[in-house]
Amino acid sequence: MIDLRNLSRRGFLNLGVAAGAGLMMPGGLIRPALAAAKPLAPVAEKDAVIAFGHTGPVTDEGWTWSHDQGMKAVQQAFPKLKTIFVESIPYSADASRTFRQFVSEGANMVFATSNYGDFLYDVAKRSPNVAFFECDGRHPMDNLGTYYVAHWYPTYVTGIAAGLMSKTGKLGYVASFPVPSVYSGTNAFLMGARSVNPNATLQAIAINSWFDPQAATQAGTALLDNGCDLLFGIMDEAGYLQVAEKRGAKAVMWNTDIRRYGPKGYISSIVVDFKKFYVEQVRQRLAGTWVPSTPILAMGAGVDRDAWGETVPEEVRKQADAARDKILGGWSPFTGEIKDSKGAVRVAAGKTMTEEELYNWNWSIEGVKGL
Amino acid sequence: MSGRIQRLPSAHPTVALLARAAAILLALLTAGVILAANGADPLKLVAQVVKSTFGSRFGLEDVGLLVTPLILTGLSVAVGLRIGAWNIGAEGQFYAGAFAATGVALFVPAPDFVLLPLAFVAGGLGGMAWILVPTLARAYADVSELITTLLLNFVAVLLVYYVSTGPWLDPDGHALATTARLPCELPEFWGAVHWGFPLAVLLTVLVAAGLSFTRWGYEVRVSGSNPQAARYAGMPFRRHLILVMLLSGAIAGIAGMFEVVGTVHRLQGGISNNFGYLGIMVAVLARGSALGVLAGAALMGIILNSGIILQTQGLNVSTVLAITGLILFFTAIGDELSHYRFVRNETASV
Repeated sequence: MIDLRNLSRRGFLNLGVAAGAGLMMPGGLIRPALAAAKPLAPVAEKDAVIAFGHTGPVTDEGWTWSHDQGMKAVQQAFPKLKTIFVESIPYSADASRTFRQFVSEGANMVFATSNYGDFLYDVAKRSPNVAFFECDGRHPMDNLGTYYVAHWYPTYVTGIAAGLMSKTGKLGYVASFPVPSVYSGTNAFLMGARSVNPNATLQAIAINSWFDPQAATQAGTALLDNGCDLLFGIMDEAGYLQVAEKRGAKAVMWNTDIRRYGPKGYISSIVVDFKKFYVEQVRQRLAGTWVPSTPILAMGAGVDRDAWGETVPEEVRKQADAARDKILGGWSPFTGEIKDSKGAVRVAAGKTMTEEELYNWNWSIEGVKGL
Repeated sequence: MSGRIQRLPSAHPTVALLARAAAILLALLTAGVILAANGADPLKLVAQVVKSTFGSRFGLEDVGLLVTPLILTGLSVAVGLRIGAWNIGAEGQFYAGAFAATGVALFVPAPDFVLLPLAFVAGGLGGMAWILVPTLARAYADVSELITTLLLNFVAVLLVYYVSTGPWLDPDGHALATTARLPCELPEFWGAVHWGFPLAVLLTVLVAAGLSFTRWGYEVRVSGSNPQAARYAGMPFRRHLILVMLLSGAIAGIAGMFEVVGTVHRLQGGISNNFGYLGIMVAVLARGSALGVLAGAALMGIILNSGIILQTQGLNVSTVLAITGLILFFTAIGDELSHYRFVRNETASV
């Protein structure tokens, strides 16, 4: 596993396949809380309970479905352990109740597949013998790690395709909340598009949900009505792809291959795969070697672009994939000069953003509106 | 034997209670049969729910935390009903109260013993402010408060999303889409259950007593059951309406204050957990009685908590929602049926 705080970007990318490295890497950036963490005692496979708490339904064919595939991979690798899960957990005190219920049912390891913040930490603090993992989290503790995917790289790649395929140069983005994963998504996408069309702009609409097909459809429609001809977003379902298909526009999606909802409009998707990660973490937990870590799965090792859609021209595929190869070779597109939406220089010329800066990106680049 | 079925204006309390118990039992039975048909073991599930809810301190604490806002939003709606006003906006007033309390907690530099009462007052005023326009519109222009209070809910949610992801966003970035953690919190009353719980019960008892034993309460009840009669008797209907609706808003606002200062500690978009809408159900279960709200909220809290337990047992969220709906559905039927009685014809027909 890769740890973002221990590695240079180059090392990070090259280590994409070296699973298991994790916190063993020497480095000065480990937070004190993690450095002091001792491994939790081993658990026999037949006694182990692994719990998953999801933000959406496991049938969403998107984010939650992908994590559920991860849980199924765990079941396959360790058929004797018990898995439990709860779907559609709201971002309210109900989340604490759910995680607490996991603990009281004997869970040895709890994965929260979305950022539940204090709702999770309150429970983790009171359950020191349970291992917790928070997806998209930013607050590691003695018994709580964080994990995520470096989606900004494949997003940049699909952004190039978008820049080449959009006729108006106006891109639309269906956002959930103004949070770092959304900023890194909008910014990386527009930077990819601007690398081939410097006049491209991006308009975002936030719908305050990760899974709300109706609101996503309305937002997609509004964006197209405002002159956008290509949609991107960070939704857990296919709503705005169907809008794009109906209106003859194009769309880049997230999570899984959902081209059947709009084969003509589909450009690609930021596909995620957590199977290896979950199996490895559970293996460590059972073996008694688990300590919290803060991995971000690299492009090619947990996140990538999907196979191109049928209407993406050969020339576009070639140009975008050339950038993908360059990134896999160690190049970073997130190199200055980068200005924010107010025109101030935020990344100086020649300077490359670190993985931690990309993960915590909380400002819009020039050309992004609506966040 | 001949007879007829007669509808009573109000059900006999014992009959109503029996009808309710029968309804819940019937709903659980129906759910059990459906679950068994789908291969689950309903008895094992029930045992698990009972064990997790009542068999552990954690379970009881969870119910306590869940019941606190339900008591208050239920009371908010029930109070409105007493004067014939449907406050569908407890959800929005909850958000407004949480918003105002957060503003005070985050920006007023004061010690806890000053800050907490201040946040409490701010929460009440926030809820009151949110129902002010619908109240005046109803009192002076006869605009249906059902629509206006409902629509303002959406404004309140968006307002909270805006401040918690915009100007009040947590500057240290540890938590996404929320404000910073509040510097003060309600002290703990029993384990994780904070003082909001006893205060909510106390407030309910006070409101119930006010409605039952004071002249004001009497006039409110008369105004609610027959506004014309109230006006004819010289009661200030409009003044009562305005006061009761503002009180209803304030109570929902206090629920929001308790939730943010006592339970969640950060203002964020999802904070209400639909407590405002669930309050309508609590008030309906309570049949509009202020004290009945306590029982209604307890029942609702146990049902919601059981829902979480059932989900960890492998039932999906839709099944759990369906069972919740089934219980309320049967309860509503039971309530209506308890108003009827069979009267035997004593005298032979001529």
